[in-house]
Amino acid sequence: MADVLELEGVHTDIGQHHILQGVSLRVRPDAVTVLLGRNGAGKTTTMRTVMGVLPPSRGVVRFEGRPIHGLPPHAIARLGIGYVPEGQGIFATLTVEENLRVAMRAENAESRERMRRVLALFPDLERFRPARAGTLSGGQKQMLAIGRALVNPTRLLLIDEPSKGLAPIVVEHLVGALEAMKRETTVVLVEQNFAMASRLGDDCYVMDDGRTVYSGSMSALAADRDLKQRYLGV
Amino acid sequence: MSAPGLTPVQAARAAERRDRWRSPILYLRLAVVLAWALLPAVGPSFQLLDLALKIALFATLAASYDVVIGYTGIVSFGHAMFFGFGAYAVALAVGRLGAPTYGHLVLGFLAGIAVSGVVAIVVGAFSLRIKAIFFAMITLAFAEFALILAVQWGALTGGEDGLSPKLPGVFAAGAPGAFGLSGRLVTYYTLLAICLGLFLLMSRFVHSPLGRTLQAIRDNELRAEALGYRTFAFQLMATSFGSVVATVLGGGYAMWVRYVNPESTLGIPIMLDVLLMVIIGGIGTLHGGVVGAAILLSARTLLPNLRGLGGSLFAGSEILQRLSERWLLYFGILFVLVVFFFPRGVLGTLREAAARRRGPAARGT
Amino acid sequence: MKRATPLLVGAALLLLLPLLGIEPRAWLTLTVAGLAMGMLIFLVAAGLTLIFGLMDVLNFAHGALFSWGAYAGFTVAVAINARWGWAASPSVWANAGLLLLAVAAAVAVAFALGVVLERVIVRPVYGQHLFQILITLGATIVLEELIRVAWGPNDQVMPVPATFQGSWDVADVVVLRFPAIAIALGLLVYGGMQWLLTRTRVGLIVRAGVENNEMVQVMGHDIHRYFTGVFAAGSGLAGLGGLMWGMFSQSIRPSMGGEQLIFAFIVVIIGGLGSVTGSLVGALLVGLAYNYVAYLVPKAAIGVTMGIMVLVLLVRPTGLYGAGK
Repeated sequence: MADVLELEGVHTDIGQHHILQGVSLRVRPDAVTVLLGRNGAGKTTTMRTVMGVLPPSRGVVRFEGRPIHGLPPHAIARLGIGYVPEGQGIFATLTVEENLRVAMRAENAESRERMRRVLALFPDLERFRPARAGTLSGGQKQMLAIGRALVNPTRLLLIDEPSKGLAPIVVEHLVGALEAMKRETTVVLVEQNFAMASRLGDDCYVMDDGRTVYSGSMSALAADRDLKQRYLGV
Repeated sequence: MSAPGLTPVQAARAAERRDRWRSPILYLRLAVVLAWALLPAVGPSFQLLDLALKIALFATLAASYDVVIGYTGIVSFGHAMFFGFGAYAVALAVGRLGAPTYGHLVLGFLAGIAVSGVVAIVVGAFSLRIKAIFFAMITLAFAEFALILAVQWGALTGGEDGLSPKLPGVFAAGAPGAFGLSGRLVTYYTLLAICLGLFLLMSRFVHSPLGRTLQAIRDNELRAEALGYRTFAFQLMATSFGSVVATVLGGGYAMWVRYVNPESTLGIPIMLDVLLMVIIGGIGTLHGGVVGAAILLSARTLLPNLRGLGGSLFAGSEILQRLSERWLLYFGILFVLVVFFFPRGVLGTLREAAARRRGPAARGT
Repeated sequence: MKRATPLLVGAALLLLLPLLGIEPRAWLTLTVAGLAMGMLIFLVAAGLTLIFGLMDVLNFAHGALFSWGAYAGFTVAVAINARWGWAASPSVWANAGLLLLAVAAAVAVAFALGVVLERVIVRPVYGQHLFQILITLGATIVLEELIRVAWGPNDQVMPVPATFQGSWDVADVVVLRFPAIAIALGLLVYGGMQWLLTRTRVGLIVRAGVENNEMVQVMGHDIHRYFTGVFAAGSGLAGLGGLMWGMFSQSIRPSMGGEQLIFAFIVVIIGGLGSVTGSLVGALLVGLAYNYVAYLVPKAAIGVTMGIMVLVLLVRPTGLYGAGK
């Protein structure tokens, strides 16, 4: 089966800093691919490059076979890629419902139906529907962020560090939600919480210093203590 | 502790100092200074002398603005205000305290510096903690306010009519003797020396470790903070320094022109002029101010002569006549084009071209 | 809603305190004048604050659009008046017609200029604050000079329709007509903007974009179209403000935009970047304060606006309704 997402030798600069120095990865359909690595390894930069927020200076990014590097972010999103950034990017002054509505690429019956399903999936959001999103707790905001990505038909979902700053019990809930989702869509997950990553991930890539340094199955990495120590310090 | 030799930084600086004497740029600069110094002997016309000194004053003013905006990276619209403070301080000290003496003159300068220093620190402390856009707007508001204050407070400042100070001693009467210098010429050389001194001071400031820290802050404030530099203190120091230099120049302007009024020293026109000079000359180059000032002021003095030409050529159509008169229009267009295509200004583009020719190895970070 | 209480108290204080020093009839006239002035400044500030909030652009050319709107409206008004005498005519319909056509011209011209400015001048320097400032300044110079070329550098007298001149006598109180109309217009515009922002999809996306425009892009919306739209709409409003100001002061000159722009900036700072309500509150505050103080201590009037700005910044550095950016 063709890869959903493919990066080949991608280099990205931010100002004068050469952040990504050769990232290559392939994402299988209907699986969860995890991107691991220390702080500053370039994981978030990779996501932002895929989304078109940062232009790659070298290399190719392909989505379902067609090159997308160089396209503006909104065009990339409309191809069916959803993005849940680090820090969630919630619009605090908008209500929960408004947050979901903004996320819709087009406000029609189908999107509203999907919104209903998202609210059913996350009952907290239904409860706080008319409330300002800024008043939600950390966990609820994360649910909203993921919910926003699900309001559109999504063929690829990029999620950046969803468990960051959340209490363990909330992370549990989050893992449950993600497990429910992973059967429907392809997911690329950046995660520092190794336990969570190993529960959800099928394939994994490890990044260090702007490069992909290891690729393989999640279970293989989880079993190899030396590898974990070397690249992740766990 | 024994030092085995020079550290890499010290070695680099020593090499820099040696090479300085061989650099052609140095001789170019010396030639310029010489030209200015010898001008009175060569060109008899007062208009030319006036233009030359104004170029010197504004070049230094533009350089002081470059320190704030180009080297420290802070967009401020209050610079003209400090220039005005200096002009008014000197004009008032020399004009309103009885017969003018050297003491009054010095007092004027010191008072101006004191006021500017305090205002710069207050405005800076208040505004540097706010987002950059806010700071720009706030300085603009303060500058407007200073202008209106000067106009309203007629009792002190002479309102819209302004002040016409007379200079003390040698500056007015002249220095008879070997060279037989008139008062004007004494003023000319004194101010030229002051400009040169300030320019050298700024150059040293910018190349000092303090100056380099400021550039680091300008390029990446977060990183500088992470490295332990108290960016706020540095930025405050830099803006205060630039403001004080502007104040001194304002006093010099008052000495030369001998007429100080709100429009010519405090208003937005001066601020725009200085901004234009820095942009055209080149932001972040310090010496760009000289190029910018020369171009702008020369154009302004020479272009009116062309206006008459336009009037006679297009006598039939009023619109065409107006089109040829409004040189500011063309300057505005030129300005926009320069910002688009030569954002680094004349000097900046030249320096970049030279660096590219020397090869990638010569380019630093 | 929590913010409403201290604001209402403050508003009450502001409105009622001057009554201590000013007798009621003069107070009423001043209040109307102050609110009217505030409304006109609001028209300029509203566009400016949205442009800042959404695009992070420091638009110095806003003043030039103010002037162009005034001159465009002026040209239409003069032409219509010369042909059909609608300004001098006692008929309310003719007067209203003249006003509407002048308004339409002002808004249309300013809007079109805004589109051109955004695409040609502003878009290329997006993200670089210093160059935005410089380039919009340059554009202002060019635009202002073009007015001087086309219409001449001198002040022009703006024809004001007869019905809108003078005043009404309401229970022995003199209420100037044009200011009253300006206030009504301002409220209309504010209501319209709020409706657009809160009840339409476009408004929703703009509000989201003011908070985080990168996120909006990543959701699939072409933010550049919204940029152009908001810039043009803001420009149109500035043009409207210019025309109304021209009628308010019954004369126009090329530098009028630059003169009012500083007020608009102060109001935007007071109100907070990106908040239309903030601009309204700030503008009314400035208008009222200016008029009261001008009556009591004429020379201190300008200082008062600065004083309010400083006070607000000390208490809330992001402005009264600022989104904390």
